[in-house]
Parts: sequence; structure tokens; C-alpha cells
Amino acid sequence: MLRSGAMTRRSLIRSIVASVVLAAPAMASGGQGASARDIEEGKAIFAGACVVCHGIAGGGAMAPPLNRPTLQSAPDDATLQRVIKEGMPERGMPRVRRFTDNELSQLAAYIRSLASGGRAPVTGNAKAGAAVYEKSGCATCHIVRGQGGSFGPQLTTIGFARGPEYLRQAIVEPGAALPRSAVMGLRGYDEYLPIQVVTTTGRTVRGVRVNEDAFTVQVREMSGALHSFRKAELRSISKEPGASLMPSYRARLSSTELDDLVAFLASLGGTQ
Amino acid sequence: MRIDRTVIAATAVALATVAAAPQAQVTYARLVRAAAEPQNWLTYGGTYKSQRYSPLTEINRANVGRLKLAWAYQTRAGLVETSPIVADGVMYVTEPPSTVTALDVRTGRQLWTYTPAIPSDVITYSSPQVNRGVAILDDTVFLGTVSGHLIALDARSGGVRWDVLVEDNHGGYYLTLAPLALDGLVIAGVSGAEAGIRGFIDAYDARTGARRWRTYTVPAPGESGSETWPKNDAWKNGGGSTWLTGSYDPDLNLLYWTTGNPGPDWNPDNRPGDNLYTCAVLAMDPSTGAIKWHFQFTPGDMHDWDANQMVILFEAPINGRERKLLAQANRNAFYYVLDRVTGEFITATPFSKQTWAERLDSKGRPIRKPGTAPSVEGTLVYPHIQGAANWFSPSYSPKTGLFYQSVREMGAYFFKGEAKFTRGAPFVGGGGRAVTGDESLGVVRALEATTGKLKWEFPLLSPGWASLMATAGDLVFGGTEEGNLFALDAETGKPLWDIQAGGAVRGIPVSYAVDGKQYVAITAGTTLFTFTLP
Repeated sequence: MLRSGAMTRRSLIRSIVASVVLAAPAMASGGQGASARDIEEGKAIFAGACVVCHGIAGGGAMAPPLNRPTLQSAPDDATLQRVIKEGMPERGMPRVRRFTDNELSQLAAYIRSLASGGRAPVTGNAKAGAAVYEKSGCATCHIVRGQGGSFGPQLTTIGFARGPEYLRQAIVEPGAALPRSAVMGLRGYDEYLPIQVVTTTGRTVRGVRVNEDAFTVQVREMSGALHSFRKAELRSISKEPGASLMPSYRARLSSTELDDLVAFLASLGGTQ
Repeated sequence: MRIDRTVIAATAVALATVAAAPQAQVTYARLVRAAAEPQNWLTYGGTYKSQRYSPLTEINRANVGRLKLAWAYQTRAGLVETSPIVADGVMYVTEPPSTVTALDVRTGRQLWTYTPAIPSDVITYSSPQVNRGVAILDDTVFLGTVSGHLIALDARSGGVRWDVLVEDNHGGYYLTLAPLALDGLVIAGVSGAEAGIRGFIDAYDARTGARRWRTYTVPAPGESGSETWPKNDAWKNGGGSTWLTGSYDPDLNLLYWTTGNPGPDWNPDNRPGDNLYTCAVLAMDPSTGAIKWHFQFTPGDMHDWDANQMVILFEAPINGRERKLLAQANRNAFYYVLDRVTGEFITATPFSKQTWAERLDSKGRPIRKPGTAPSVEGTLVYPHIQGAANWFSPSYSPKTGLFYQSVREMGAYFFKGEAKFTRGAPFVGGGGRAVTGDESLGVVRALEATTGKLKWEFPLLSPGWASLMATAGDLVFGGTEEGNLFALDAETGKPLWDIQAGGAVRGIPVSYAVDGKQYVAITAGTTLFTFTLP
């Protein structure tokens, strides 16, 4: 019987104690003492358990890049191991599985080894990217530092939360990069999923799914209007997985502008 | 003088009956005939057959849409997975991690509450710290704790009658299940395969707490079943947890108890073989604990597909002959029907998407597909790591002949990892990552109980953890992960009533009657709701 989401107080206390005891020496370790074999073993575990969210070689995807000298949520090895061990449910990171202490140290060794592998390829100019952001009308739908519209996700700290490759994909192929919901009951479900409903009286409403349960669905139109329906009142519900109401900017931006925009977004909210 | 006293005493009793319905003794005879008093809910599964079926009919298809809240009770924080017991005007609910509270069933007001001391370093690797309910026998309620204790409490006051250590929690043993009370006996099982325990089923003297017998679910070398383990020490940490309440047939005097996965879960390298009696149902003589027959659903399991799902007992004709049957929708995605007298396999059919078995042979043994074992890089297999079914209760209606199951239709990437046993540390050898979101599905399915044939289904959204209860009012009550409580038409699956309760439903519905009026109770989030007609 193993059910996800279980965090034992014992292991938490152990981890806290461990992080207090080990914090100082571990800070500087950065994989020191780890053999090449440990790093290879860690890489294999990472490929199965972590790549889908953190990207190949930890370059970042739906979840933050890990190929950095300092990880904001895991400044030392003990904390890194605790984060892997318990997940960060409040940030959407599950405890993928239970690892042995040896597996944890192998994973940590591999993740630390990524820092020297160089940063993710952010080649653009963030300052120029800010101008691209403004010129392209992104603020119509997105909030950055308090300014902008609210139809799309807030981007104030997006550079911390996502990797640059994911950001690039979200600009050129938005439907392939829908964020996952944190709303109760829809955890893991696509957020901003395009949806069209037709009521039994023949009215059609198209927008994004805000929430859904077995009996109701909540839809926001691009105008910002929120609609709530009982499914019993609907003739049809069509969801469009893989699509987005945000247009692709592939043809609207030059490759330099795209690089710059990615660099701007990657700079948001991160001290890393 | 003597006569006067008697009269006064009798009058006092009569008044008390009207005013407060003092508890009568819930004798073993009453438990055997629990179906004859549908105003109460006396055992975990409603009766020893565990059908989770209420014969009450006041709430029915015609009026269920008018259900309204009678009262609510807010529990302690945590995951609430309790099945209330209702006996003679009192409801006994459990709260996380191991608290039991007695409520006045008319008003929801607390009569007493008992919280055992739980050490802060308690080990519960196999599940969240939950409790699924108590058992009642005579004037005592029985509680299992996450610290590995079994405690008997006075039903009127919550005072402790006895408290025994079932097994040391430092070794990973703990209790989340509702115990099962038989004639003078309390049966309990343990969680903890993920800590490398050796599972067992225990029977305790209900009056004294003295242990009457223990039957291990993993045999020692030389014992029956040991031939299905290699000649090494794997059996010592072989798992086979017994963490869900069993069923009982008083006529056959057979106790049916289910067992969980072998340890370590996802790395079977050190335990080649069938690994009896893991992932099985055992039919036992409750007076001795002897295993009369067994049926193993998943031999040599490597996906954590415990068989700890409810086994429902029912009678129905098979090929024209009336049979005593046992049915289970197993975590491995197959629905099984067995003869409960002999353990003979009758039929099995998938009730959810599965990609691991080619088929089952004539004895019900699965033929595994190649390439479905957990791997370092991850192997996508259906059903999910937590199975197509799990601890949450299905229901069977003798009126419709249907078996109702909330199904978790989802897959997972199964990982194989290191498996080295250290006492008090997780012993799992891998794990799984769910295929989540819009790729997964929760659904209520109604199966023809004798064949497993799909009769109807009602789609939910995400795979849930709520139990179902059918009633003679032709209804099936349940809940969703998104917080809906609902009632479906038991014959067609048509939704007839629902309400948003504001918290994920992990509750187990029960029904009872007070002063002739029917109620339905179920938890959502950390609130117990009771509903009735206006």
C-alpha cells in the first residue's frame, strides 16, 4: 500500500535535523566526494523520475531549471535531498517516489554536476526583450509586476518557475505548453484549456476552462466574462487539448526578437 | 417497596429510552443479524457480508433531489476516511490520525472523544495517517492506531478498557483499518509493507485484549507456502500487509481477509516466485486462525497491487445453481468472482484499462505481458501504482444484482530502484509517477455481479477515493475528488442529486434511521455531513 502525498513527521524532522547538522559542510560540496559512477547512477534515476518536468540535463521545462550553481529552494545538499524526498506539494512538485539514502545522494550528485555543464541557452538580450514584450501586446493578457491584463497567466516570476525552452515553446506553440492547474480537484489538469459549450437553449460559449467537476463547469471568455454551467444544462462540451486561445507568435517575431523575449521572460522573478 | 422500586426503575428506563435512547448491548447475535436492523450501521461494511447496502427506502429515486443538510460535524485536520458506526442513537466516527468521537446521532453534538498518545516520530510509510473506523461489540468500541496499538474503549464514556501493542511501530507496523468484531474476538491487521514488515492477521479476546492467535501472511521456511519464496531471507521482510477490514460468513464460520503487496514493492529481484500469501484473499477459521483456502490475485507482484480491497459476500445462481460467492474489484484492474465455500475461481474480467496481463488462465492466474516490469527509466503500465481500485468501498445491491465500483482509470510509469532493508527505513525498491490530468479518468461503474459485465457507467472527473453505498431506495451514493456528493439511479446510473461540499471526498457513506426517518452520512474534506428529507 503506497499512496502519494504521505509525508511522515518523522522523516520531516529527520530531514530538518539533517539539514541543520549538514548545512555548513554540504554548502560547498557541489558533488564533492561523489564518484563518476554515482553521477551516472543519478543520471539514470533522473531520466526516469525528473526529466519530464525539469527537462533534459535539468535545463528546465514545466519545472525550474536545475543546471544552476545555486538552487533557490535547495541551497545545500541536505535541503536538495529533502526536496527530492518529500516534494514541494505547495509548489506542484510531487514526491515522485521513495528513494534510498544512497539513491538520494546519487541524484543530488548528478543535479550538482549539472551546474558546471553551463547554463541553459539564453542567448537573447533581456532589455531588448522587454521592448518586444511591449510591442507585441503581451500585456493585454498577462500581468508583469502589477501591470497588464488578466486573461492569461501572471508572468511576474515566470523566469523562476519555468525553463527557457519551455518559455520559447509557450510563445511559438502555446497549446503544447499549457500550465498544469493547482485548483482543488484539478491538480495536474491543463489550465487555460480551450473549451466550447452549447447550452440546451442553443447558446454557445467559448473560452478557457477555469474549473470543472462531475456536475458543473466554469468557463471564462476572452472578454473576461465568467460563466458557470450545470452539465445537465449543456447540450455539448468540447475541449481542445493541445490548443490555446493565445495565438502563436512564431510568424510575428524575428528569431532575434524571439531570443530577446525569452531572455526577458527568463529574467523575471529570478535571482538565479 | 420492592414493587415500587421496580416500577420506578422501569419508568426511568422508559423515559430514558424516549429521551436519550441509552445504548443497548451490541451483542454478537445482533452483529450476525445486522441486516435486520437497518436503522443502525453496526459493522464497517454494514453487515458481515460487507455489501455496504442499506435496506432503507424512505429516501428514494422520487425524492432524493430534495435531500437537505441535517447537521455537520467538523473533525480534526488531516485526511478523513472514516466509515461511521451507528448504534442505538450514537454515531462513532474516527478522525485523523487515530481519534474516535461519539456523537449524538440526532444533533451531531459530541458525547465523548478519545485521542491516544501518538509519538511524533511514528512511522507510516505506506499511507497518510488516517483511520477508517471502529468496531463495536457489546458495550465496547475497538480502535486501531498509527502507533501500532489496538484499544478497547467503553462505548458510553470513551474510557479505556484495555490497550495492547499489536506490533512495534519502530519496525514500521501500524493500524489504519476498522477492526472486525466477531463472537468474543476482535480481528485486526497491519499496514507497513513499505517498511519491510512481515504481515499477519491477529485475533484478540474482546474482553481482555489477550491475543488468541496470529497468522502470518508470509510463511517461514518449511511452512505451507514457503515453496513460493526463494531460499534466502526475503520472507523476513516479505510484506503482505493486512490493512483493510475483512468479511465473515457465520454459517460457514469463515473469515475472509485480504493481503497486500510483497516487499520490496517494485524490485522483485530478491524474491523470485509467487510470494504467497501476498496479494491474496485468505479464508480462515476464526477460532484458530488456520487458513482454509486462499486465492492469489497477483502472484509475484511488482507493481504494488495490494489485494486490500473489500471482498463482498453475496449469493446468486451460477449456471443455474445457487452459489455462495465472494467478489472483489482488485487493484490490478480485474473483477473476480470466487466460490466462497471452496475458493474456486469462477470468473474474472477487467473493469478498467489494463496493459499488464495477456489474460487469466482457467484458474484465474494472470499471464503477464512481457516488458511490463518496473525499470530504472520507467515503464508505462495501466493500472496506476495505486490501482484501478483501492481501499475505498464498493457496494452490492441484492435488489439490482449489481456491483458498484468507483474506478481509477489511469496509468503510471513504474520505476525500479535499490532495495536494501534497514529497520525503520522505507523498503520499496522504486516507485511510480502517475499519468495525471486530462489523460486520467474517474468513473463509477456498475457491473453485473456474477459476470463483471458492464451495465452502466457514470463519468466523474479525476480518479477519486470516495466509497459507494447502494440503497433499497434504488440509489447509489458517492462522492468525487472535486468535492461533489451525489446520488445515482442504481439501475441506470442517471444522476439524481448532487451538492458541492467544498472538500475532496474520501468519506465512506452509511445510512441509518432515527425516529423512523432515514439519514445518509458521509465526509467531505474534514466535515461529516448528514442529509435527510425535509
